Amino acid sequence: MSVLLEVQGITAHYAQPEAPVLAGVSFALAPGEIVALIGVSGCGKTTLLDILAGFRRADEGEVRLAGQPTVTPEPDKAVVFQEDALFPWLTAQQNVAFGLKAAGVPRRERRAQATAMLQRVGLAGSLDRLPRELSGGMRQRVALARVLVMRPRLLLMDEPFAALDALTREEMHDLLLELHAEFTPAILMVTHDVAEAAKLADRILLLKHGQGLLAGFDIPLPRPRDLHSPELATIQAACRNLLAHGPARA
Amino acid sequence: MTSPTAQPLRILLPVAAPLFLLGVWALLSYGGFTPAYMLPPPHTVGRTLWIYVLGEPGSAAYAGRFAGDTLASLWRICCGFGLATALGLPLGVLSGRLRPVQQLLAGFVDSMRAVPGICWLPLALVWFGIGFRTTVFLITLAAFFPIYLNTAAGVASVPGTLVRAGAMLGLSGPGLLRQVVLPAGMSHILAGLRLGLGLSFAYLVLGELTGVPDGLGATIMDARMLGRVDMVMGGIVVIALIGLACDRLLMGLLRLTFVSARRCRE
Repeated sequence: MSVLLEVQGITAHYAQPEAPVLAGVSFALAPGEIVALIGVSGCGKTTLLDILAGFRRADEGEVRLAGQPTVTPEPDKAVVFQEDALFPWLTAQQNVAFGLKAAGVPRRERRAQATAMLQRVGLAGSLDRLPRELSGGMRQRVALARVLVMRPRLLLMDEPFAALDALTREEMHDLLLELHAEFTPAILMVTHDVAEAAKLADRILLLKHGQGLLAGFDIPLPRPRDLHSPELATIQAACRNLLAHGPARA
Repeated sequence: MTSPTAQPLRILLPVAAPLFLLGVWALLSYGGFTPAYMLPPPHTVGRTLWIYVLGEPGSAAYAGRFAGDTLASLWRICCGFGLATALGLPLGVLSGRLRPVQQLLAGFVDSMRAVPGICWLPLALVWFGIGFRTTVFLITLAAFFPIYLNTAAGVASVPGTLVRAGAMLGLSGPGLLRQVVLPAGMSHILAGLRLGLGLSFAYLVLGELTGVPDGLGATIMDARMLGRVDMVMGGIVVIALIGLACDRLLMGLLRLTFVSARRCRE
């Protein structure tokens, strides 16, 4: 299996050196793979994502993207944040064109690319609207368009749909899968929603505070998936059991 | 869709308070509640202003001095406010972004801004003498603190996710500051600049008390010495109107220059 993202022995502490929040976390992502990272609140999911994104340094360990060590943020490993991180003074189109501008893409071209990407996520009629004029689901569509227009090889998503209502979340799941099929980035999605992970991911990784990764579950099932199918029900139950009781009683 | 009453209200509300004050003033003066030497009636102040603005110089006291006074005062404001902005904005940005700079400046700034401007006047006169430089010094001092403090607060309050989003999209250093941090803190920065400009006018008058030959503050103080309360009140009206015009001009320029200023909610 070729490897896009390689995470080796990541350890991170907050205040107490003897109690790491992440202890020797190691895993790898293949190109185009969707991996869900699940854990209860405070287990270090977001800390791990921050380290992978280059927003903070690990105390120990190494992250490699396509074989090269990576420690700083870059458009090739884009992030969709948990909370609204659109630039509020820019229109939807300007938000999507922001990274292209930073990359030096000429104005006319970046406007065309941003427009096309917004059309792709179903926001053709909202190019000139400010983030405050958009609903939560529309803002997350813009956030997705903003990173996908940069054609990243890796997409890091930090509970991106947690703040949305159930119906909008379902729509966003479908949209994400469509966009993944079209642009094929590898996706590492942090979530605490086991059902969401089972629905979207090729693989689920379980993280527990201070213990590193507990287990991984491959989900070799075609999409769209029936969450009530016996295979997925078994995987979801195993995940919940592991998160609740740890590996000893699993 | 706006309601049919929204448009008239939008025009009437901003002038309601001045009209109310004018009404009270008229009632007090025309009703005989206050003597004219204390509160001249509106028409007297209006006539004085007419002469001050349009009168032939030398034809009457203060006649035709408006243009010269205004230009002199505006030049002092430009220099003082410009210096305050040149100092306050970069220091505010540094203080808002870098904890050591904030720690270095916090105590000093908080103590200095508690000192009333009038306390600086004797020292400024010793250092800079009577006239232009003292006035500019006082204006700079007055405008610096709101500009610095609001810029620092605005920059410090920029959400971390916006900075991270900018970094993730390929920006760093000055580019990140210019394209993310400053626009994100723009509403605070605007507030600081507007407060600074307002204080500049307050300290302009203080500075022009020191014996400068021209300027709106100088004229007001001269009129006070001569017991021309009508001219004092006329000067106050002129300063208020010019202050309003300068505030609108500042906002217009910033909105013309920065998208983030254009899209700030007032």
